[in-house]
Amino acid sequence: MSDAIARRRWARAGAIYLLLLFFSILFMGPLLFAVLSSLKDNPAEWPPRLDPPQLHWRNWVAAYRLGRAGGGSGWFGAFAPGAVVPFEVTYEVPAELAAQGIELPQVVVPRRVPGAGPGAVRTGPFAADYAEVVGPSIASRQEHPDGSVTVTYRFEVRHTGGITVDRLPVDVEVPRGYRFVEATLYPNRMERLGRVQSWNSITPGVIPYIFYNYTRVFGENYSRTTGRNLFLTWIGNSLFVATAKVLTTVTFASMAGYALARLRFPGRNVIFVVMLFSMMVPSQVTFISNYLVLRDGIFGLSRLWGMPTLLNSFTGLILSGLVGASAVFIMKQFFESLPKELEESARIDGASRGTIFRRIVLPLARPALGAVTILTFQGAWNEFFWPLVVLTSPQDKYVLMVGLSTFRRAYGAVGFDWGPLLAGAVVAALPVVILFVVFQRYFVEGISFSGLKG
Amino acid sequence: MKEARTPGLRRPMLSDRVQEAVAAYLFLAPYLFSLVVFFAYAFVRTLYFSFTQYDLFNPPTWVGLRNYVALLTEPRFLTALQNSITFSVVVTAAQTAFALMLALALNQKLRGITFFRAAYYMPSVASSVVITLIFIWLYQRAGAINYLLTMALVYRRVLLVFLAGTAVLQVAMVLYERRRGQPASPLEPSLLVTAMLLAGAATAALWVAGVVTPVEGVQPVSIPWLNTRRRWPDGPISAPIPLEAIMLLNTWTTAPTFMLLYLAGLQEIPRELYEAASVDGASPWQQFRHITLPQLRHVTFLVVTLGLIGTLQMFDQVAVIGDQAPLESVITLAYYVYSNVFPGGAVPRVGQAAAAAMTLAVLTLVVVLIQRKVVER
Repeated sequence: MSDAIARRRWARAGAIYLLLLFFSILFMGPLLFAVLSSLKDNPAEWPPRLDPPQLHWRNWVAAYRLGRAGGGSGWFGAFAPGAVVPFEVTYEVPAELAAQGIELPQVVVPRRVPGAGPGAVRTGPFAADYAEVVGPSIASRQEHPDGSVTVTYRFEVRHTGGITVDRLPVDVEVPRGYRFVEATLYPNRMERLGRVQSWNSITPGVIPYIFYNYTRVFGENYSRTTGRNLFLTWIGNSLFVATAKVLTTVTFASMAGYALARLRFPGRNVIFVVMLFSMMVPSQVTFISNYLVLRDGIFGLSRLWGMPTLLNSFTGLILSGLVGASAVFIMKQFFESLPKELEESARIDGASRGTIFRRIVLPLARPALGAVTILTFQGAWNEFFWPLVVLTSPQDKYVLMVGLSTFRRAYGAVGFDWGPLLAGAVVAALPVVILFVVFQRYFVEGISFSGLKG
Repeated sequence: MKEARTPGLRRPMLSDRVQEAVAAYLFLAPYLFSLVVFFAYAFVRTLYFSFTQYDLFNPPTWVGLRNYVALLTEPRFLTALQNSITFSVVVTAAQTAFALMLALALNQKLRGITFFRAAYYMPSVASSVVITLIFIWLYQRAGAINYLLTMALVYRRVLLVFLAGTAVLQVAMVLYERRRGQPASPLEPSLLVTAMLLAGAATAALWVAGVVTPVEGVQPVSIPWLNTRRRWPDGPISAPIPLEAIMLLNTWTTAPTFMLLYLAGLQEIPRELYEAASVDGASPWQQFRHITLPQLRHVTFLVVTLGLIGTLQMFDQVAVIGDQAPLESVITLAYYVYSNVFPGGAVPRVGQAAAAAMTLAVLTLVVVLIQRKVVER
């Protein structure tokens, strides 16, 4: 009998784990699938595969070797002067074609720009101008009993000029009916019903091979006016704004929260009610006036430090978001939960309110400060609406989320170039995801502070 | 306490109360600057703009209620209003139910619960822009969602056999247990696991034997989730399909946040209540109905209020989706306001936008007040 009960308990735990696992797939699945697909040459392929060639160790080894052969390092490849890159491709030729004799493929180094996005307007040194293809020749052939032939072609690409190029794209075209079997490096695309095998670069190096879309996001987006690398600039902008907001919010929210929780003064209830009210009213109600206030430099005050307008400036963005009501609310709730005795005895000893706040209250408030820091950073990093209003031009003023939202148009103008789009999204999500994994406790505490105890 | 204080420590000039007030306002100064300039002033000013004609450049001219009247006859505003309300009601209901379900599943004393909690919360952490971009990709005609639907069609016979097998086995086992005098609820988890394992094995055997086969010649599903003007379901109660696609994604991202609130609420329910109830022979469903739900009433109030406030402001998803979906199918009040203040090449209609914004504010406040009344009752 007790055996049966134990068995039942195990089965019950199993059932619950199954359910939990199901929900995990539901919530993590789309995100993990997006991360996986951001490595693919074509994230919109049908049917979607779960094992892109970018995840096969054999291709990593090949990418490393070819990167070295091209004159770069194994991790970051290149096509440098003096490089000689050997390459082999294997096809299967059906019997009726083999009977007519094995033909050689055409090997071309094309002048190709990557994708449909901003990379397409870049002009740069092309590998095509410095590459010479030697071959191809038949390296080996194996005849099968049914008359079909497996043939391996070999060719070399040599660098003839004096300029290092970051990639060496290659197209190999075979006669109709030849079936691709394998190559030194697995091709990135098959075109024209399998007749053309196409490589983004046959000297990639490991990192640009696996993270091709990521190198594109970081490498293609340049400002047309200043020439700065946009994606890096946006990340820097977001980091700067989020850090500044964390500093101002932590400082001012703890001060305001302390006053609302502990001090008695006329107008306290009015301020609290207006604060609650401000948490309910959507930002689309207040943004019209806030836009005008920033445009006019906060009633002309910003002229004092030489800025006629605060639009398109981080100063404006930070000043208009010094401290949020929810942060004040969290701090107020937390201070109310602290015992008063310490402060009262310090008061009796003659300490001023500022000293009590700095020396006694703040050190005790570490958990709440942690929660406010994390939640503010997350909020500022993810914020979209208000930066979209304030920062409109030039492009290097964007924060990351505003910049990322322009990708949909930049990479989606003709069809969709999903690789860099997904890669950009993954990079943009990464900082808060890492923050969450490391400081999970603070997220959970912050949410229950702001919610339940209110 | 005050009597205990030695007179020498009192500052002579100001009374303690004045001092305290001064200190309080010094502490509050930065926040008050934010609250007054960027909220109170802004709110009053939007209210004022809603009675004027204004284009951001020339001074506003007073027009009285004309903007509000004009809104009532503008089709795009009415669409936005309808979309916002539908979106808000559906998403709030769905995410509240879903959040409670997740919290109940997570409220266990088992190893690895924190891992699962973290995994569920992940979509709430990432930004709406990132999530929306990923979903635009999943919602493509040749995207993963249509692919999964296609697979479901291809393997529908296999799935059906598996589900039917599970159901039959479960019923049989529950009846058997009851006849032996053992208590067994219809969804007894331990039996369900056994039923699923057995049904899975049986289905696999039938598949290998060639009795149950995947359907051949299924056309790939190519539902346009975003780029369509169609509504679903047909009939008086319906919504545009692209809006429903956003509902799905929004429920998915916000349910985990509210799950955390429910989880905290569940952990505060005294265990004695459940123990007493099971002594009295209450079934799990009765316990849920008469203990869990009433004890969670305040959390539910909070979740519904926050949900309604949040969903009424939905903007990011519409802005990011942009021309991937027809504007009428996805426009919300928040986006209507924005697009009238910054209409691209045209002249800004700030008055009308402000009137729409006030409608949004009033809607939010009414919703909160109704909620309060319901809870007080």
